[in-house]
Amino acid sequence: MTAAAHSAPLLDAAGLGKRYGGVVANDGIDIRLDKGRVLGVIGPNGAGKSTLIGLLGGAIAPSAGRIRFEGDDITALPASERARRGIGRTYQIPRPFLDMTVAENLAVGQFSLSPFISAATATAERRDILERCGLADATDVKARDLPLLRRKRLEVARALALKPKLLLLDEVGAGLIDSEVSELIALIRSLQDGERSIIIIEHVIRIVKECCEDLVVINFGKVLTKGPTAEVLASDEVSAVYLGTSHGGAANASPIAAPSTTADPAPSASATAAPLLALEGVSAGYGQARVIHDLSLSVMPGQVVGILGTNGAGKTTLAHVISRALPVTAGRIRFAGDDITALPPHAAAARGIAHCMEGRRIFASLSVEENLLVSARNVATAQCKERLERIYALFPVLAERRHAAGTSISGGQQQALAIGRALMAKPRLVIFDEISLGLAPVMMDRLYEALAELKREGLTMLVVEQDVERALDVADVAHIINKGRITLSGSAAVVRADERLRHLYFGIED
Amino acid sequence: MPALDVILNALISGVLLGGMLALTALGLSIILGVMRLVNLAHGEFLVAGAYAGLFLLQWTGIDPLAGLALIGLVLALIGYPIHRFLLVPLAGKGPEASMMTMFGLSIILQNLFILLFSADTRAIDRSYATVPLELGPISVPQIFVIGFVISVVLIVAVHLLIARSRFGRDLRASADQPQAAAMIGINVSRVHAFTFCLGAACAGIGGTLIGVALSFTPTSGASYLLTDFAVIVLGGLGNVLGTLVGGIVLGVLQSIGGLTLGDGYRDLVGLVLFLAMLSVRPQGFLGHRA
Amino acid sequence: MTVLTSQSTPQRTISIRSPAIRIVIACIAFAALLAAPIVLPTYFVEIGFKLLIYIVLAEAWNLLAGYGGLVSLGTSSFFGLGAYVTVGLINQAGAGPLQALAASALAGTAVAIVMSRGLFRLRGLYFTVGTLALAEALRLFVINVPWFGGATGLFVTVDLPEIAALFRYATLLLALAALVMALATGSRFSVLLRAVRDDEDAASQVGVRAFRIKLAAFIVASALIASAGGLQAIKLGAIEPYGSFGLQWSVDPLAIVIIGGLGMRFGAMVGAVFFVAIGELLADYPELHVAITGVTLILLIRFAPRGICGLAEAALRRRGAAPQEAHP
Repeated sequence: MTAAAHSAPLLDAAGLGKRYGGVVANDGIDIRLDKGRVLGVIGPNGAGKSTLIGLLGGAIAPSAGRIRFEGDDITALPASERARRGIGRTYQIPRPFLDMTVAENLAVGQFSLSPFISAATATAERRDILERCGLADATDVKARDLPLLRRKRLEVARALALKPKLLLLDEVGAGLIDSEVSELIALIRSLQDGERSIIIIEHVIRIVKECCEDLVVINFGKVLTKGPTAEVLASDEVSAVYLGTSHGGAANASPIAAPSTTADPAPSASATAAPLLALEGVSAGYGQARVIHDLSLSVMPGQVVGILGTNGAGKTTLAHVISRALPVTAGRIRFAGDDITALPPHAAAARGIAHCMEGRRIFASLSVEENLLVSARNVATAQCKERLERIYALFPVLAERRHAAGTSISGGQQQALAIGRALMAKPRLVIFDEISLGLAPVMMDRLYEALAELKREGLTMLVVEQDVERALDVADVAHIINKGRITLSGSAAVVRADERLRHLYFGIED
Repeated sequence: MPALDVILNALISGVLLGGMLALTALGLSIILGVMRLVNLAHGEFLVAGAYAGLFLLQWTGIDPLAGLALIGLVLALIGYPIHRFLLVPLAGKGPEASMMTMFGLSIILQNLFILLFSADTRAIDRSYATVPLELGPISVPQIFVIGFVISVVLIVAVHLLIARSRFGRDLRASADQPQAAAMIGINVSRVHAFTFCLGAACAGIGGTLIGVALSFTPTSGASYLLTDFAVIVLGGLGNVLGTLVGGIVLGVLQSIGGLTLGDGYRDLVGLVLFLAMLSVRPQGFLGHRA
Repeated sequence: MTVLTSQSTPQRTISIRSPAIRIVIACIAFAALLAAPIVLPTYFVEIGFKLLIYIVLAEAWNLLAGYGGLVSLGTSSFFGLGAYVTVGLINQAGAGPLQALAASALAGTAVAIVMSRGLFRLRGLYFTVGTLALAEALRLFVINVPWFGGATGLFVTVDLPEIAALFRYATLLLALAALVMALATGSRFSVLLRAVRDDEDAASQVGVRAFRIKLAAFIVASALIASAGGLQAIKLGAIEPYGSFGLQWSVDPLAIVIIGGLGMRFGAMVGAVFFVAIGELLADYPELHVAITGVTLILLIRFAPRGICGLAEAALRRRGAAPQEAHP
């Protein structure tokens, strides 16, 4: 790997390291990137990928190593100076300037770098970027009013307004459905003009495969391997740590979990039994925006119900409505026959609704074990212990780390902890909201195996998921939500076969 | 250069007074740590505690030290409606709204104190406030020792409550992730109400001790608020035992400042230290839990 | 706030059509103010002076808090600083009022620069507490250090200008403040300032030197506040630490802006009129006045977080919705 003799690489990071107290997030990472190249960075959750972006972008100060950009040492430069030299980054969780319009969000970078740019030029540049990113219609919309998906586009657009020589994309594909991934790939490709270099951190293998020329695999904060994308993805070592051994190579981002697909006994309770949960004509939203419209559904005891839909369809809003974290504007919610519409969330939890929230939400100042114990409310110590043992049997890794601080463990382990925390309440109904989001495939497999086991034990579950295959594997019944309404319901097999599912997910025109 | 025993005396009273300062800062610290609320009316809670001690003595003859628990209870009972009717409705409107509301409350209380009790400087007059405790060359007012012991006991008790008890677990969970805490069944608003009342009670008890040991006016609150912030910064936010350390460090430094520069500089030393600390190591404040 | 030519964002302005007309209106208003002392009785000139000082302070505070997200409780530190610098220069160096005021603006700038390093490390609520500490520290400093006359303070030893002249100085100061505010809130600078307010880290990632942007706003505000403090000192003819560094100088601008409308272009002005009017009505009960300010604050924060201007705007929009659509 010698750089071309006539020019130094655009980016040359050597021996980058970052520790947080005793935790090593990055350790001796070397990255070199020539002008015009696209580099992918993959690795399991908690491998230190986002830390790497922070180190390169300047948000995080390294504890070791140095970074050269266009030959200059930029290790000590703050984020703003790096941005001015041409390093643009996106945030994994979008952070737009909420009280400013989309155009103003882009103008920040423009005016900051060139305060005296002519208004006409600036406007034209913005229009061009917004069109490329599919935000042309939202120019004057306040960023606060954009849904998550469009905020992600705004992240990219805002970084592009810097006209960066190096663009750092942090999981811009997470949570997108196939048709959206295709759009994103087209966008990234259009940015490859031979001048601009891009580093892409991604779990969506399709993006990596189709956009990145080279690939670096990071595990436990270190570079595991690097090389041309196809070679790296084909290596056994990589599939073992990252993709999970059950799926050879990098064929598909939606593998089918092994268990429970054989026969389909559908242990749903008899139709005459009363539903455990029933929503009757529920509407809800945030402020002015109504997200859910007149929605009705019911969950029988022992049933596993999948809630599917694209981003922004209202799945998470629905989950929040059921666990009473969000008030309804119309309709009623019944749980075990009682009207719980007016209950606060803690009271809903007391009645047996557990909500394993999107984003895990682990308590940082509690240990792993305390995180579990805290949700066993008003339970005798002996019983607490019993439940703990059960969770530890389900996720042995939690037992190993029981005294560690809740957020010091890796992302996948935190997700296991979040599931365990929901189960500790011995709930009658558990809502699993996007538990696979942002996890390496091998970790998703493990979590869904755990869900399958819970299903065999007869736990009633509501599985909110954008990964269709995984949800349909575990669910008895599935509902597809689109724009806050149920557009398709039926048994998992029926939904799986229905054309409308494909329409929705693969972006075929109506 | 003052004599050795003067220095020694100053240091010891600095430690003892610092312990009491730590208690006055405790309420501010837990309310900030759990509710993310900068309670700008904290100083007025202290002053209210001091007045409560004063009037308890004047009206009923009950010794303020004997009535500390009662004073704590009274302040907690005052704190509850403040939380319920002023802070709860502002949930979800951002931290500034609550902070400014407490600021509004602080100027209301301050002027209420002036209207009701006059602007006079007061002190709770007890023999143990003036009679010294002597040990060799060391001579400090008895109240300094009594107040120090009470403060340490209360701080350790609050620390154990938060670190060991079930309630403490709920409290830490609510501080970390209020929404997630609610969804696993914690009544966060009750935890907040309890925290606020506990903070007010600690402030009231601390205020009474200060009222006996030193003196106070209706407007003393602002300067205690700042002193208490200095204590929290020195000890680290959300760290209950750190508050004790911060209080003692500040107490000693104030004594040294008073000794070397003159008594008027006591508070200034604390503030300068606070500002310097902020510019050098704001992590003490901000570091974790961004 | 039409910074970007591609669109207009009407939500924060009660717009008077074109910029040219605005400038003309502003010029006429200031000319009228300059002439006002000739016709108005002294009592109203006195109140007018108070009002002007409050508007300047509130504009400065609104720039910091409303546009920059820097909620300061340290207005009194710069107000007191200006007062002491002005009186000191007039007494010791025989400076004229204008020179002294300009010098106090410079002093405000200098202290803002010195303090910014520490204060700007603090974000959000902690910044507020830091500014409060700064004000208290300065006051204690002035009381204890022997040069400033201790708790008794200082007297202006030369003859004081008449109230009419002071009123004109205040008008000039307000004109300056209005000009600065127009530049700071209607320019590309305002885009950067608001970006820093919304998310400082994200702003840095798109190249904004957040520190400089905040410092610029802080300097402008501090210079204005210090000049206002100097002017107030000249008017009183005597200063003492509890008065000049008094907490009320931090509280009042805050209350005025929250009453008028935080981050609203006319918030400071409307709030100041309201505040001064209430103050005059309750002139005999100062404690009650402050307490009522506190109650007003609490009520407005809860029920009308965008203040009187916010209420007015909402009312205008409701009523004006239909006719405005008729316009092309």
